[in-house]
Amino acid sequence: MATITVPQVVPSSAEDAAALMKAFQGWGTDEKAVIAILAHRNSFQRKEIMLEYEEMYNESLIQRLQSELSGDFERAMYHWILDPMERQAVMANAATKCIQEEYKIIVEIACVNSPAELVAIKKAYHVIYKCSLEEDVAARTRGNLRSLLLALVSTYRYDGDDVDMGLAKSEAKIVHEAVRNGTTDHEELIRVVGTRSKAQLKATFSCFRDEHGTSITKALPHGTDRTGYLHALRTALRCIVDGNKYFAKVLRTATRNSGTDEDTLTRVIVVHAEKDMKDISAAFQKRASCTLQEAIAKETSGDYKSFLMALLGS
Amino acid sequence: MQHLVGQASSNSSSAASASPVRLRPSPSSRRDQQHRERDAPAAAMADEHQELARAFSGMGGLGVDEAAVVSAVGRWRRQPEKRTQFRRSFPGFFTATSGGGGVMERCEDEYVRQLEAEFARFKDAAVLWAMHPWERDARWAHHVLHKAHPPAVLVEVACTRAADDLLGARRAYHALYHRSLEEDVAYRVRDASAALLVGLVSAYRYEGTRVSEELAKEEAKALAAAVKSASATGAKLVQNDLVVRVLATRSKPQLRATFRIYKELNGKTLEEDFAGELCLQEAVKCLDSPARYFGELINGAFKDGADKQAKAALTRVVVSRSEADMEEIKDAYAKQFGAKLTDAVAKNAHGHYKDALLAMIGK
Repeated sequence: MATITVPQVVPSSAEDAAALMKAFQGWGTDEKAVIAILAHRNSFQRKEIMLEYEEMYNESLIQRLQSELSGDFERAMYHWILDPMERQAVMANAATKCIQEEYKIIVEIACVNSPAELVAIKKAYHVIYKCSLEEDVAARTRGNLRSLLLALVSTYRYDGDDVDMGLAKSEAKIVHEAVRNGTTDHEELIRVVGTRSKAQLKATFSCFRDEHGTSITKALPHGTDRTGYLHALRTALRCIVDGNKYFAKVLRTATRNSGTDEDTLTRVIVVHAEKDMKDISAAFQKRASCTLQEAIAKETSGDYKSFLMALLGS
Repeated sequence: MQHLVGQASSNSSSAASASPVRLRPSPSSRRDQQHRERDAPAAAMADEHQELARAFSGMGGLGVDEAAVVSAVGRWRRQPEKRTQFRRSFPGFFTATSGGGGVMERCEDEYVRQLEAEFARFKDAAVLWAMHPWERDARWAHHVLHKAHPPAVLVEVACTRAADDLLGARRAYHALYHRSLEEDVAYRVRDASAALLVGLVSAYRYEGTRVSEELAKEEAKALAAAVKSASATGAKLVQNDLVVRVLATRSKPQLRATFRIYKELNGKTLEEDFAGELCLQEAVKCLDSPARYFGELINGAFKDGADKQAKAALTRVVVSRSEADMEEIKDAYAKQFGAKLTDAVAKNAHGHYKDALLAMIGK
């Protein structure tokens, strides 16, 4: 469930556009006004406002926002105002540019979205970047990491609930074999994780746990792997098994360690605020000593904090 | 089959071994021949039998000439001896049996099978024509995987369809089989071509025209290096990471630029340098020049000794491309084989099947 709140009676897009222009005028920007409008509109409404603004003032709203705002707030607002699929395409593209450090973003996008959403993201990628996400991912990686990332990004998983328990048992065995072998010979594991439906995979991991007493993520070898393959694999497994728990952990890490990781906060909150932020919040609270909103309030400040809090529904 | 098809010109007249049914002169047919010579329109009768045999068996072509069969049925009404003579003149199709009180000519099983296949061609074409293109492609892909047919059809579907049509076929596959196409390909294909096939069926290529000449040059050079290294070590290129990555992810315009530059740099085409690796050659052909590929498939159906797969390709290509690139296929066919596609089809197919194909090919 989403956490953003949209007013009962929404002003027309023309009214919103005019209000935004008013906020930009004069000395400095009225950030509170910008947040009061944009953080409380869904993607369809935001698109209407953008079109209306451009029509009325002959300039791009995105570019105006980029020049009026700054820092973490500007980055967050830029991503927020985009269409949800374009937003993830933009994030994916940024990740491919430094893929050895940021591959986990690709994994998240590939594994947490529904099959149809992933297709929409890839289509948006074509339009914006005039090439495919697959070719960018494949060209900048090698070996097991490439095989895994490319499989995750290319697949169009069956979306149904059909599960073949016999197959789940036999593939749990395959997964166990691969995990036991370190990181060599992972073709079969990548095949399973990269093509089976999510329901089938959950059944497979469940069989794995029943058979070996430990979850698949815990069973993965824990050594350092310079290629990033193991970490990518672990991320994929966690995203597939329980996306909310995964993001809750990501947020806990981003708010707990010395120095807050604003980029991560932005990425998770902006993408999920109109999707399933409520469930992620609930998962966060289970394992943390405070609510997500309390953690954000403590670790961020200024307009950036106000914006995130608005997205979280405060 | 020479003596049977005789004066009637036929595509398959040259190779008696081409037809799966071996046809030999039998004593009874020679006796019949003497009888026929005594009767007035003897030669005409023999001709009639031959024509009917041609029309009624798929010998010398594809499909059944329904009109000829109906005409014979009408002409020979209440003349069982005419039908007996017909059966006796084709000992390959009918075998004389005795015992049980009289001689009769029983139908050979092989003949029945052949007949069923030929009668079914029109039905298959019609059913496929009515289906949504995505469902057709999903069914063909499934057929390949579960009946162990050659992967060429998978390569064809994956590489010649537009990006959104391949995606649509994958969606249809979900609906029909409750699995994804790539999971079935990855699970069932266990030979060297697995990685390439999974990559090709999973592709969702950029469909715009933007091409980077610099990238094409870089990848052409890298491919040349891979080809050279493989010929030295004997490794299979179909399992080469670079080859699979480029063929499975780059857009088609980008690939065509790469193939062009490859030829400029190396003198040979990539297709030529993939000699001995059929799957790769098919992929390159389908990505680079699908019209030529389809023309060759169609021509393969007309050849003597064309097997079941080769003949089925005719229906598949005409039905699936009729509203896509049929004009380009007609041009490519004329260029390569020196004949109009419509003429070749008219010559090699019969009856409703022929008419349906011609209607789909257009003028």
